[in-house]
Amino acid sequence: MQDSLTSQRRRALLLAAGATLVAPLAAHAQASGDEIVIGGSIPMTGVFSFAGIGINAGISDYVKIVNDAGGVKGHKIKYVPEDTGYKVDVSVATFKKITSQNKVNLYYGDSTGFSKTINPELERNGNIMMAGASFATELNDPVKYPNQFLVGPDYTEMFGILLNHIAKEKPGAKVAFVYSDSEFGRDPIDSSEALAKKLGLTVAIKIMTQAGSVDVSGEVIKLRRAAPDYTIFHGYILAPIPEFITQGKQQGMTTKWMGTFWTMDSSTVMKMGEAGDGFMGVMPYRYYYDTSAKAPMLDKIRQMRPEYQSTAYIQGFLAAMLFVESAKRTLDAKKELNGKNLKAALNSIKDFDTGGLIGVPITIKGNSIPVGRVYKADMKTQKMVAASDWISL
Amino acid sequence: MDWAYLFEISLTGVASGGLYALAALAFVMVYKATRVVNIAIGELLMVGAYLFFTFAATFALPLWLAIPAAVLGSGLLGAVIERTMIRPLLGEPPISVFMVTVGLGSVLVGLVEMIWTADQRRLPDFMPTQPIIIGDAFLAPKVFWGAMIAVVFIAAVLLVFRFWRGGVALRATASDQAAAYSMGINVPRVFSLAWVVSAMIAAISGIIVGSIGGISSSMGVFGLSVLVVVIVGGLDSVLGALVGGLFIGLVEALAGAYLGGEYKLLATFIVLVVILMARPYGLFGTHEIERL
Amino acid sequence: MRIGTLKETYIADAALFDSRTQKVWLAVGVALLLLFPFMAGEYWLYLACLVSINVASASGLNILTGYTGLVSLGQAAFMGLGAYTVAILQAKVGTPFLLNILAGGVVAMLGGLIVGIPSLRVKGLYLAIATIAASFITHFLFANLSFAGGTGGISLPPARLFDVALDTSFRLYWVIVPITILMLLGAANLFRTRVGRAFIAIRDRDISAEVLGIPLLRYKLLSFGLSSFYAGVAGGMWAYFFRVVTPESFPLLMSIFFLAAIIVGGMGTILGAILGAVFMTMVPELLKLVFDLLPNNTELTVFLSPVRTIIFGLLIIGFLVFEPHGLAEVWRRIRRFFHLWPFRN
Repeated sequence: MQDSLTSQRRRALLLAAGATLVAPLAAHAQASGDEIVIGGSIPMTGVFSFAGIGINAGISDYVKIVNDAGGVKGHKIKYVPEDTGYKVDVSVATFKKITSQNKVNLYYGDSTGFSKTINPELERNGNIMMAGASFATELNDPVKYPNQFLVGPDYTEMFGILLNHIAKEKPGAKVAFVYSDSEFGRDPIDSSEALAKKLGLTVAIKIMTQAGSVDVSGEVIKLRRAAPDYTIFHGYILAPIPEFITQGKQQGMTTKWMGTFWTMDSSTVMKMGEAGDGFMGVMPYRYYYDTSAKAPMLDKIRQMRPEYQSTAYIQGFLAAMLFVESAKRTLDAKKELNGKNLKAALNSIKDFDTGGLIGVPITIKGNSIPVGRVYKADMKTQKMVAASDWISL
Repeated sequence: MDWAYLFEISLTGVASGGLYALAALAFVMVYKATRVVNIAIGELLMVGAYLFFTFAATFALPLWLAIPAAVLGSGLLGAVIERTMIRPLLGEPPISVFMVTVGLGSVLVGLVEMIWTADQRRLPDFMPTQPIIIGDAFLAPKVFWGAMIAVVFIAAVLLVFRFWRGGVALRATASDQAAAYSMGINVPRVFSLAWVVSAMIAAISGIIVGSIGGISSSMGVFGLSVLVVVIVGGLDSVLGALVGGLFIGLVEALAGAYLGGEYKLLATFIVLVVILMARPYGLFGTHEIERL
Repeated sequence: MRIGTLKETYIADAALFDSRTQKVWLAVGVALLLLFPFMAGEYWLYLACLVSINVASASGLNILTGYTGLVSLGQAAFMGLGAYTVAILQAKVGTPFLLNILAGGVVAMLGGLIVGIPSLRVKGLYLAIATIAASFITHFLFANLSFAGGTGGISLPPARLFDVALDTSFRLYWVIVPITILMLLGAANLFRTRVGRAFIAIRDRDISAEVLGIPLLRYKLLSFGLSSFYAGVAGGMWAYFFRVVTPESFPLLMSIFFLAAIIVGGMGTILGAILGAVFMTMVPELLKLVFDLLPNNTELTVFLSPVRTIIFGLLIIGFLVFEPHGLAEVWRRIRRFFHLWPFRN
């Protein structure tokens, strides 16, 4: 019988298969020991990829600057990013993977959905302080989200900055909100409507557009009939804003057009072409090419990266800066690096100089940095120019 | 009751329905000839728009070269798809071919994301910019001209099906493949032709839709609204594509205006359910008789 | 080589696992499942729970589409109904978690019955499109009904069993996997009964089935109801696993994922649902592993997401063109090889 030979082979094959199955199961936690680990669920592909690539570059660059200068009190910083394609379940999976393989103290998340989903896990873990690409109003709640913070004003505060500017420029003006049917879009609308009333402005109309809708001519007609003095777009990156503006101008509308953070990157606005001339919006940071004031960090960035870097890059860079500052203060106070202490250190930041990334020194009392400036697009020079002073809420 | 507002909204709704009609025409072409439900129609639209973007913006070809190039490129893609994915599944149950088109949609989205990244982009402007004014009502020029192009194409296809030999061959293959074979019609060639023409029409539709709303890798979701249009009009009726498109465009515009933006898709799908219950084969579709 | 599958009683003939080898492998499988959570790291436990939930939902879809022949693109919507029910009950009412999951299943079942009503009037592709409509209508409800939390969704506290909070993947594993196994056994048993055989008859030729005396509407609705019950339970487990439900959590793409899973696995077999769900969930992980091993991988990570989408589409197309009966058929061929060995056929 050939039984013995072939069954031997079969047994060997089964053993080999078993071994390859068991191998990855052996949990291996890489003890980083002396390093401070920044983990990241970064949307480097998918609909948010332009932001993800910028954020990734921003964080890496700042980490490099700090490590080149000797690290934080002798500890080097390790940045461990993973791509998520802007999908919440993938972000959660990468979080679990990175935290199981490293001792993570600081984390960067890619979306509002992820920040909300991972919050209970963060609280259970206790060792991590998190920031993210989201500026959702709901996250700006130190009681519900004690281990998280926003790298700028939340969406309601962004509206607040715009509305304050409008109230100063034209008291009693009529304002229209055009927003997308998504969590991102709906987030600040109700609270901003209340704020507008408080500032004496009338909200002429609120228009919600379907995510991914192609034709907005019906909405433009509604907008025209409401005849607002200012129209604020929120919840979009680019589309359908240029179409709104083009059709609005064709129909003779004289409203001023404005947007919030994710529309206001220079390259995005420039894509609007003719329609984007004079487009305004709120941006908490200085733009890459801004040379209006002394900004040592911006100079350094310009040295490291000769081509234009988006505002997403600056957001990542600033997030890393705040991470490092919180870690430094925690270590200075001889406290353990965990979520609570890092957040307390973050909240101790008062009149902090960001090296010119934000135009004024910042104080982080709660979960957000309520500072920003209104910028206007100048198509001739292909740049965004400041249209107001730095407004702190 | 603000009649002027109603008129204005209805006008723009009907015109944007023309866009739906054009995309629905591409869908009907394939179904009429091969009985295949192509749910990747939105993605074919997207590929056409991206090809136009590449030729017009990246290679900076003049318009009269870029548009035909994009259309021909899409036609080629349609032929390749038919040969590699649809032909092998000729005798299989229709659900299998349907799932293949679902897979095709994913593949096309992935390819677009890989080559052009998932960023939103704008197409170069090429349509006249003078707004159309009827009485007191404004109509955006892009929408108007898009609708006009759609009507022209549908009329052309209707005539072709009626009078040209190829069109008659297509109809013959659709109603009875075996009989068409025995009459000497080259059935495989007819299938290829149907897919090529469908892809080309989808490309034109994509260029128009793209020039209105910009292009992105998630443009394909437009295909779901087109699906509703063809169900309402009838899966194999060209006239139904036009009527269905205009009707759904009107419904969406009215829902958006009087109920709110979030009700647009809901209204469309409620219409779909009503039609499925009342007239499952659509307004102009042929009633399928199932035999044991 | 398997010789002599002689059965002496009807009960033995209808048994699910008949040969000794099968029973031995089954015991090995159960032992592995019991040992796995103690050997595996956090990330693998997370994957295991996710795979389990997907298997449960895929087997539900298999009842509807694989066995009854009613193509449905609404599985994600029913999961959403189950998940939201569980979320609302757990967060706002605080009922025990097993009851919540059951309630989730029942609510989803009701939804399934409603969606199944058109199935007498329309069939095939039209029914599939009607389920897409159901998917959108439920999405609208989730996003706009106030007690469903709006676009922000609902976040829920962890389930509690005997006063232990089920908040880690390790703890949830011990709940999710047994529930899934129960559901799989239920589905396998279903097809030994006359209800199951009626479903198969409807799939093969529903007019003939009606002629033979099977009331079509009743059985089609039953099929919808059962499969959406499964989806609801899977959705409930999903809710406890992720602890946040939003309207965006259950998109049409998820329904397509499940349909692809049963096609790839093999429609109309329980094993097919299991293999398909496992395969489709693990392929993205495998892809990530491959990308990590490639040189120059920081530049190439930009391509991970589009490649994943392409591979998803290619898998569907590939299996439909080359192996329409799916992975279950591949497995059957391997088994046949070992059964007949040392003969060849």
